[in-house]
Amino acid sequence: MNALSRWCLQLRVMFGKELRQLGRDRVLLAFIVYAFTVDIFLAASGVSLQLKLASTFVQDVDHSSASRELASRFLPPYFQVKGALEDERAADAALSSGRAMLVLTVPAGFGEDLARGEPTHVQLQVDTSNAVLGFLAASYAEQIVARFGLETQQAGKTPLPVIENRTRVWFNPNQEDSWFMGISELLNVITIFSVLLPAAAAVREKERGTIEQLLVSPLTPLQILLPKVLSMTVVILAGTALALFCVLRPCFGVPMAGSVPAFFALTALYVFTSAGFGLLAATVARNLAQAGMLTILILAPMLFLSGAWTPPEAMPEWLAVFTHFSPLYYFINISFGLLLKGQSVAALWPSVFDMMALGMAAFAAGLLRFRRQFG
Amino acid sequence: MKLERVRALAWKEWREIVRDRLFFALAFVVPALLMVLFGYGLSFDVENVPFALIDHDRSVQSRDYGYRFIGSRYFDFKGYAADEADAYDLIAGGEVRAVLVIPPGFGRDLAQGRPARVQTLIDGTFPNRALTIRGYVSAINAERSLDSAANYLAARSGTPYADVRARLQPVSLEVRYLFNEAVLSIWSLAPKLIMLILMISPPFLTALGVVREKENGSIFNIYASDISRGEFLLGKLAPYVAISCVNSLLLWLMAVGLYRVPFKGDFAFFALASMVYVACTTGIGLVVSVLVRTQIAAMIVTMVITLIPAVLYSGLIIPVASLSDAASFVAHAMPAMYYADIVAGCFLKGAGGAELWRPLLVLALYACALFAAGYALFSKRPAS
Amino acid sequence: MPDWVIRSEGFGKRYGKRQAVSGISLAVRAGELFGLIGPDGAGKSSLMKAVAGVLKYDSGTLEVFGTDMARDAAAESVKARIGLMPQGLGQNLYGDLSVEENVDFFAKLRLVPDELARERKEKLLGVTRLANFRTRPMKQLSGGMKQKLGLVCTLIHAPELIVLDEPTTGVDPVSRRDFWQILAELVSSQGLSALVSTAYMDEASRFARMALMHEGRVLAQGQPKEILALRAGSVVSCVPHEQVRARAALAANYAQVEALGPRLRVFVPELAREAAEGAVTRLIDAAGGATAYDSGEAELEDVFVALLAGSHTSADAGEASAAPAAAGNAAAPAIEAISLARRFGDFVAVSDVSFTVREGEIFGLLGANGAGKTTAIKMLTGILPPSSGGGRIAGVDIARELGCVKSRIGYMSQAFSLYLDLTVSENIRLYAGLYGLTRAERAARLDWVLEMAGLHALADTLAAELPMGQRQRLALGCALVHRPRVLFLDEPTSGVDPVGRRAFWDVLFRLSRVDGVALLVTTHYMSEAEHCDHLALMFAGRIVADATPGAMKAALEQDMGALYEVSGEKAPAFAPVLAAAGITGVSVHGRNLHVLCRDGARLTALAGGQGGLQVRARALTMEDVFVERVRALEKEAGR
Repeated sequence: MNALSRWCLQLRVMFGKELRQLGRDRVLLAFIVYAFTVDIFLAASGVSLQLKLASTFVQDVDHSSASRELASRFLPPYFQVKGALEDERAADAALSSGRAMLVLTVPAGFGEDLARGEPTHVQLQVDTSNAVLGFLAASYAEQIVARFGLETQQAGKTPLPVIENRTRVWFNPNQEDSWFMGISELLNVITIFSVLLPAAAAVREKERGTIEQLLVSPLTPLQILLPKVLSMTVVILAGTALALFCVLRPCFGVPMAGSVPAFFALTALYVFTSAGFGLLAATVARNLAQAGMLTILILAPMLFLSGAWTPPEAMPEWLAVFTHFSPLYYFINISFGLLLKGQSVAALWPSVFDMMALGMAAFAAGLLRFRRQFG
Repeated sequence: MKLERVRALAWKEWREIVRDRLFFALAFVVPALLMVLFGYGLSFDVENVPFALIDHDRSVQSRDYGYRFIGSRYFDFKGYAADEADAYDLIAGGEVRAVLVIPPGFGRDLAQGRPARVQTLIDGTFPNRALTIRGYVSAINAERSLDSAANYLAARSGTPYADVRARLQPVSLEVRYLFNEAVLSIWSLAPKLIMLILMISPPFLTALGVVREKENGSIFNIYASDISRGEFLLGKLAPYVAISCVNSLLLWLMAVGLYRVPFKGDFAFFALASMVYVACTTGIGLVVSVLVRTQIAAMIVTMVITLIPAVLYSGLIIPVASLSDAASFVAHAMPAMYYADIVAGCFLKGAGGAELWRPLLVLALYACALFAAGYALFSKRPAS
Repeated sequence: MPDWVIRSEGFGKRYGKRQAVSGISLAVRAGELFGLIGPDGAGKSSLMKAVAGVLKYDSGTLEVFGTDMARDAAAESVKARIGLMPQGLGQNLYGDLSVEENVDFFAKLRLVPDELARERKEKLLGVTRLANFRTRPMKQLSGGMKQKLGLVCTLIHAPELIVLDEPTTGVDPVSRRDFWQILAELVSSQGLSALVSTAYMDEASRFARMALMHEGRVLAQGQPKEILALRAGSVVSCVPHEQVRARAALAANYAQVEALGPRLRVFVPELAREAAEGAVTRLIDAAGGATAYDSGEAELEDVFVALLAGSHTSADAGEASAAPAAAGNAAAPAIEAISLARRFGDFVAVSDVSFTVREGEIFGLLGANGAGKTTAIKMLTGILPPSSGGGRIAGVDIARELGCVKSRIGYMSQAFSLYLDLTVSENIRLYAGLYGLTRAERAARLDWVLEMAGLHALADTLAAELPMGQRQRLALGCALVHRPRVLFLDEPTSGVDPVGRRAFWDVLFRLSRVDGVALLVTTHYMSEAEHCDHLALMFAGRIVADATPGAMKAALEQDMGALYEVSGEKAPAFAPVLAAAGITGVSVHGRNLHVLCRDGARLTALAGGQGGLQVRARALTMEDVFVERVRALEKEAGR
């Protein structure tokens, strides 16, 4: 048997062993399946940052046809008029108790002023304890009121040189939050498992003492660590396929505009790079519990500095720097590029390169520490 | 109930936590770390949106229109793009998030009193950002559009520009932003992060702490001694509740100091509510720890049952009122929502016990129920 | 109230589908040191936990202090009078707390008044010689010290009954003797009752009465001598000229034949010493003859194995032999350690260790915990690079050709590190693949290992479901799958029952004698050290003695004198008399005393003065050698 085929045989039996062990761990398997299906489904269907049916109350002091017309323009899907309010006190109470998000107050004389062509005003009180939605509600309301004003004044008159700015949203024309949430949760899950699984597999060997058995055998450290990463990559790719083809596409219609094989290939590469961080943690931890805690310390910054929620340009500068050390930052570019934007791999090359560099560094550090720890 | 025993147990637990460096970090560093990470990493303030401009018209009007965007604090002008293909590359490559396209004839149409059209291409990958960008665009556009119409009418009719403009917009909308006057998303986020972190950290620590004792066998000291279940639970959990109370103070300080969120409410009430909430979430950890055997299982189970409901069904991102019926039911069944109401009320609305006694009562009942369950499930003589 | 502290009748406990113990009936008297003896999984822990009121049980009755333990409240009511020390080295203590903080916590937990707690703490720390370490964190104590601290914490509330679950497992022989000594003194001076379990058969003489347990049942109970009487017989040993042939001849007639280095030891049932020796001599004379005959009374382990012989069903190891691999360099020794040394920071784990092991030799490396045995093995197997010095395996230098060395050695580590979530055959195939065996070889070796370990019927069973003895043989099979010329075994028998242990040593015997494999073994069981051809004793990283077991015993006898056993009703009271007479080597074994002294005649005279005492010479064991040597060295190092 020559050296190469022997090397391959050793790698193959280790690889098979890792998969078998994972297959026997029912609890972990159940957790993996849960994460790649139910968890992603919940995240994709649960979170929406769009203004939906903002609960609106109207305090109509004017009681004119104009005031009724204006109030009737606050329509679903953005707004829903839940009722009328008698006075200021009732308005305050509705707002501070959280029953009302918006209170539209139409002052007395509104209809008359409007009919006479006098400038008039209405008041909108917005609960901004959720700033994003508050801001959106206010800007939609501005648009409704401006259009109402313009239409009552210009009814039947000649067209004016107004500017219409039609926005075209690319890659997600209807701004489906579920696409974004679903994919980013998938990426989070991939990240968590690609750090946790190899770390757990390595620490388990340490904990049970089987690592010594491997060390006295003619295996190199690379041959011990590589199969762990490879087998977990296979598992994670399977999970990713499950999430894509059984959850994201059928339930939410995520387009998958780019090359799906390229996405899987790059996911494998990503799993490989983040596994480096997990192995690094495994060389430090003495038991599974410690490994779990350490991976949390590694994962939290990795997930939240990835730019998925807040783009680096909106972060304080000192923090934005760290973004570039999160491999997830690059993987997000890659995945959204491939799944939504339909970019080619060539266009994503810079991200791929940076991600690889980061992963190689972590992997090398893990391997080095492992070697030093075990001679 | 012998206080001496409770004290001894609490003291021992405290020493162990303090001397185990990893655990100590988890107890004190992680909550603060999460506050920083979530605070900056989950902020939805969209500013400095990188954008590019395609000006096919190159007229005075088009330059003026473009300048309205370039000069805005919401946008960060990255340069002119040649054509749509160029725009596609810029957006797809993530270099800009929006491209404004001014077609040829824009200036001519406006000068001749005809409506003109422009187009904004927006990157929809991150829908929340796309939505906000659309809001900015339509606000800036509406302003400029009104100017253009008023200018035209004023020139034609000879009436002063200001009058024409006022007539074109007969109804002005006075918007009053309540509770978060500056409409800063961090103001709404930071108080709710206190809720989120206190939902994650105490159950995690508690479950680990109790299960650790089970896993390494020292729980047999408790089983074998004549300490009562109540004494044990009290002494064992007291340090965790105390740590989390300290953490809630720390998080409050970070919200007020680091993120400059105004605290308008009654601090004493807030402190009381936080203690009750922490007791409640510690109780979740207790119940988990009684049911599982290993630390790793404790970690996974607490994460699954605390993190997702706290993020999705607590009003952290979506107001509970906008949830579907099923989701709203889940939200009402979980303690997180009630405390979210309390923190938001205390920080931004200036509310106190008078307005918020109801959620506090629910939390208190919750805490009692969890501890009762933990007490009932904990056996000093297990079957295996 | 009767003087029974514990009474059980038909006690049973199951975990899910597995019946852990059943039909246990036993009784422990007040003031008695009662032993539960049996291997892992015999059901000792379940019984002890139920006695301490920390485990519900399913059937039978259990009374402690006359209270029926069936209900939680009843169990709770007697807990103040009981102390429990669960299994595991320092497992019930708090690693990050100091010695003193641990004791204080237990005192507070038990509501001992401060004044009294201080008094007891000082006394107990004094007795256990832990007083100088009171500020040290528990996790930095040695195994023996941890167990002594555990004992202190268990005794701080002055319980009437203490329940100690395998307090000496994983503790080195010196600390183990020390522990028993302290326990015996405390039990007799405070009128305690104690229920203590152990997996070491040779600790049986420490108990006043005991129960032999196996697979959830009690095989026998009573005083040690009553149990010994259950299977009367004698033990004969000799040095045969042709060991393999002689062994085969004896094995054909007797169930229990063991090879101890060059010797053979056989248990001859029913016959008295002379008759037994005659019967053995006749058999061996027909198989090459022997010299140096010796005979003695059977030991508990022999009786245990004999008691099991009827009921024991576990498959015995097959007779397959490890067909020799291509012979190495026959001229070179199999293992050579040349001035091996290893430092971790300032700590010297191993210094200047040299020894050689020939082909076909069984070499034992003995030493207390932390003496450097495991570190030495790790260096010789290439897991750990030495700081200086080196070694050769079959003439090949470890440092230079590690790859070549690794494929020639087999290694079996302390915990039989198998993959418990893989099946038996998956484990074997894995290792066969790791050593790069060809497909045909892999199939052949799989068959061979299954045959050798007697696991053919269990090939598709998960390793986790095997009892310890079978796990151990599987681990051995995995270590042998690539036909190594050299085999390293690091504490290969911990937790295995005596029957399994004997079968295991049979395999090792064949490997060394028939196949010429060199074996390096470390062990805590001093009775196993007797199996080795050659021994090296390590202390504080150095080798302090290197000889055959026989030579080591002879040297000790030369230095310290012979061993005598003093028995009789008043034996315990005799200890102070001996101390007054300046005889120091005294230890309490149940109701007897063991005395090591040069002047046997004087001892007999002193005993005669007491009346009713018998003095009898006993053969020195390797444990005696080990303990005395290490104690002397510790004294020297302490000075």
